[in-house]
Amino acid sequence: MDIAVDDAVAALVEMTGVRKSYGGALACRDIDFTLRAGEVHALLGENGAGKSTLMKILAGEITDHEGMVAIDGTPVRFTSPVDAQHAGIAMIHQELDLVPGLSVAENIFLGREPRTRLGTVDVRRMYRETRELLAATGVALDPRRPVGELRTGEQQLVTIAKALGLDARVLIMDEPSSALSQAEVEQLFVVVEELRKAGTGIVYISHRMEEIGRIADRATVLRNGQVVAEFDARAMTAAQAAEAMVGRSVQTLFHTEGGEPGEIVLEIDDLVVHAGRVRPGRREPNGITLTVRAGEIVGLTGLLGAGRTELLETLFGAGSRGRWSGRILLDGKPIHPRKPRTALKLGMAMVPEDRRIAGLALEHSVHANTVLSIVDRLAVAGVAVRAKETGAVREMVERLKIKLRSIRDAVGTLSGGNQQKVVFGRALLTEPKLLLLDEPTRGVDIGAKAEIYQLLGTAAEQGIAVLLASSELAELVGVCDRVIVLRDGRSVAELDTRQAGEADLLAASMGVAEPGTDSTIAADMVELAESPAGEGTS
Amino acid sequence: MTDLQTEPNERLETKTSTATSIVSMLFRFQSLFGLVAVFIVAVLLSPVRDGANIFVSSDNLFNVVRAVSEIGIIAVGMTFVILIGGIDLSVGAVLGLAAVGSAVLMVNDDFGMWPAILIVLAAGLVFGLLQGIASAVFGIQAFIVTLAGLQIARGIARIWSGGQGVAIAYGDGPGEAPVSFSLLGERTFNGLVPIPAIIFVVIAVLAILFLRTSAFARHVFAIGGNEKAARLSGVPVTRVKVIVFGLCGLLSALAGVIHAGQLNQGGPNDGSGYELDAIAAVVIGGTSLSGGRGSVVGTVAGALLLGVLNNILALRNVDPNVQLLVKGLVIVAAAGLQRLRPAS
Repeated sequence: MDIAVDDAVAALVEMTGVRKSYGGALACRDIDFTLRAGEVHALLGENGAGKSTLMKILAGEITDHEGMVAIDGTPVRFTSPVDAQHAGIAMIHQELDLVPGLSVAENIFLGREPRTRLGTVDVRRMYRETRELLAATGVALDPRRPVGELRTGEQQLVTIAKALGLDARVLIMDEPSSALSQAEVEQLFVVVEELRKAGTGIVYISHRMEEIGRIADRATVLRNGQVVAEFDARAMTAAQAAEAMVGRSVQTLFHTEGGEPGEIVLEIDDLVVHAGRVRPGRREPNGITLTVRAGEIVGLTGLLGAGRTELLETLFGAGSRGRWSGRILLDGKPIHPRKPRTALKLGMAMVPEDRRIAGLALEHSVHANTVLSIVDRLAVAGVAVRAKETGAVREMVERLKIKLRSIRDAVGTLSGGNQQKVVFGRALLTEPKLLLLDEPTRGVDIGAKAEIYQLLGTAAEQGIAVLLASSELAELVGVCDRVIVLRDGRSVAELDTRQAGEADLLAASMGVAEPGTDSTIAADMVELAESPAGEGTS
Repeated sequence: MTDLQTEPNERLETKTSTATSIVSMLFRFQSLFGLVAVFIVAVLLSPVRDGANIFVSSDNLFNVVRAVSEIGIIAVGMTFVILIGGIDLSVGAVLGLAAVGSAVLMVNDDFGMWPAILIVLAAGLVFGLLQGIASAVFGIQAFIVTLAGLQIARGIARIWSGGQGVAIAYGDGPGEAPVSFSLLGERTFNGLVPIPAIIFVVIAVLAILFLRTSAFARHVFAIGGNEKAARLSGVPVTRVKVIVFGLCGLLSALAGVIHAGQLNQGGPNDGSGYELDAIAAVVIGGTSLSGGRGSVVGTVAGALLLGVLNNILALRNVDPNVQLLVKGLVIVAAAGLQRLRPAS
């Protein structure tokens, strides 16, 4: 299985025969895993393949495992995450482990605040070092801002800065880029590259193939808790990796057949929102003009903070309160929804950005989550009719191929992809004319991703108008008919995906679309986005 | 991978899943099992007179139900509030206000029984709705709103009653309440079943059916499970919350009317500390304080468990201070068991 291992380079981390079970289910079955100093080792696999479990063992968060972990050739047995941190191992979690009420600096130094001679917290030093760490991460944030006010992507950057502050020799990054815009991902790669040069060993978990091809040296693929393949990451194709992950060949990731677009369903004309109370970190719509026709999938792109989410929320009546100017027409009639319930009644449905925060009640059953939007419609004189509900849920489960044991199981026990399908199912049950999607494939494995794209294609064929916000350029190009580019809350360009590629979207997002106004970064990035691994598997 | 490798594990998984489902059953009906356990202990510890077990005598058992009826009715309302992730600290004070209101309206103001009761219930409903509006529309935390509500309700009750309990005398003359009001302290079916117990059982059954079958209840659970997701799914979050607080106020007022009928007076300090007993019953009943999970069945079992406990300790002549201590330990034990509950 080993490929051209240079024995002269000692393994920084060596895990052998690692096994861990939850109840009766084996999450890791005799996994061998090595990480060398100055190496970026990608860990691939569908959700539930055992990646996170394996890394939590390495980070000392899971301690009741079998098998051996050695650091620099010395066997260790961590008893806690702090123990592992002392050994130089830091982990950036997929679930952001930040305290919302504390400031950026307080979060970064949580539990290891610098002290003055008097024993009080050395606030000045804390803020100074935070600024340095943020600069190294390439993010312009005020260290005094409460983390709860930041957007998901910004929070993700803060966790990265926090991990950098630990000066770790082993850095585990569990989907560090899932909420980042392309430009921020580029900055992240610069950071990773510097760490690699400094001799840090990095484990990089991601679902984005193009990222792996660019920054990883080696890639190990897990499936059902076992190592099923190991690749030279630079030579690996996305198709190879996908096949190893799902255990069969993935034919087409994107649903390419486009139907004929019909009547205009949504028309937005110079929409501006003057929020009554300005919330920091929000970019309200400030001049949006676009149309979406029946059967059409229109994308929304833009850098982080360009106002994609805010636009979708405004349309759905979930945005900031305040004055509007401009018009929103649905089927030609002006609308002004002030709450989601009204928007749903008008024929819209939304799949929100973060399913754990805004999408699902994780402890509740698949049944309860799926029918939530239509319980009162199915009820007779206020009494819920169980049989009708179950029928509707079953039909959705079948149609969306949701994998589960029983619809009475808590939705939190499903894999990320299947959870996302439940959110979709709830939206589709309302039989919407217009579907608003915010990062619908974030944190979803490649198999489920393909199925979600399929689903979008089918929805469009049935005449649903779809507005899709995404920070994955490959997704936008692959799925959408047209893409609207947002910058600072404005719609600044519209690209036809038959002609435009990922590079064009990126350039337009950054405002360097015209030749001659080029900057080096943009040129680099355009080149990056065109790299072969970025083409997807279609 | 080959099928040979997966098979044994899959078998293992199904076996453990039956085991976990039994365990989760036990936890789901934890309060019922707890009630049965406490009941058995009570039978064993009960004093015996003339060869008869005093605890299990029908007279005594109905006494237990009568004794918990006020707390039980309040706890049913509290269950709804806690299910949406809220809390209502004003229930005891609203009970006191309703008891005072019943007495003052009938005795001092010569209202008939039904007008007095309807006015008092409406007042409780409106009080609850206002608290709901403050919490859901203006976004003030329920804890704070209802803490203030507690003070306000007590204040009104004291002003209204002149600071003293208003005794209810029965008769047809001025300054006397209609005799039918005293039925609330009586027993029916050959003097066996106390009226308040019947009211409690009717309310409990209605609430259980309502929570099981209504579309409204689905919205209640959804709000407690994830308010943001509920809102984005089209649940009228604000409306549901306001109604739930209104319902809790209404039920607290009903308990206050019963209270006045049982004691033949309305005192402005009646119901002090009842909010804590009601919350205890809800928690023992397995409803999660963070909302989204729980049942009225559990709450009723929790209230009865507390009632049985109080009853047997009293029958054994245990020092009331020790009774408090035992009650506290039982609440902690019930909450501790909740933490062991499997995730799904």
